[in-house]
Amino acid sequence: MKTKLLLPNQFKKIGWCLLIPGLIFGLLTLFFELDFEFLKVHVFSIYSSGSIFGHPTFFEILKNNITDELIAILIIIGAIFVALSKEKNEDEFILKNRLDSLVWAVYINYAILLFCIIFFYDMDFLTVMMINMFTILIFFIIRFYYVLYKSKKDMSHEK
Amino acid sequence: MKNSLKVERAIKNITQEELAKQIGVTRQAINSIELGKYVPSTILALKLSRYFNKGVNEIFTLEETD
Repeated sequence: MKTKLLLPNQFKKIGWCLLIPGLIFGLLTLFFELDFEFLKVHVFSIYSSGSIFGHPTFFEILKNNITDELIAILIIIGAIFVALSKEKNEDEFILKNRLDSLVWAVYINYAILLFCIIFFYDMDFLTVMMINMFTILIFFIIRFYYVLYKSKKDMSHEK
Repeated sequence: MKNSLKVERAIKNITQEELAKQIGVTRQAINSIELGKYVPSTILALKLSRYFNKGVNEIFTLEETD
């Protein structure tokens, strides 16, 4: 069984190299509000609702610290590469694990989101939303590799 | 669905690892099929049938609950 939708296996390594630093810096920004001063640059914005004084503007150049943007891009591209590149020996059994893990990740992700919608408010909910951007992929990766690991381990004492 | 993969393997005296290599799947796939945890695709079933030189229904049989 073959699928054309997955990336080649080499993307996995690149993915980990992006995802791990992304997660580390992500957690640092989340807990210590890390902002690199040199990353304060001019950016192009399609729509901005403006600061306290301003009016909404379209297609404007703004000044913004892009630390968080860069981290988000690192995590998303890294996680996509890790999650959606083929295993070295991708076969139909692994493909089934992939599908199961994806369904599982969607359930868990939205179950947690529903819980947070009910119990977190205002700025705290904004933080939840921010983390929620990445969790579906993270949950998928954890479950997918856990099942692979378990199926390998279960086998070791079988001839 | 039941299967006699383990028996067939014993007759041919071949390990899961070797069989997996011959068929072109992971060892986990063969292992899970033997344990009844995974139902192979028609393609994989046909490949196994060809390898053991036996009909698919001789290796895989339906159960009452199927």
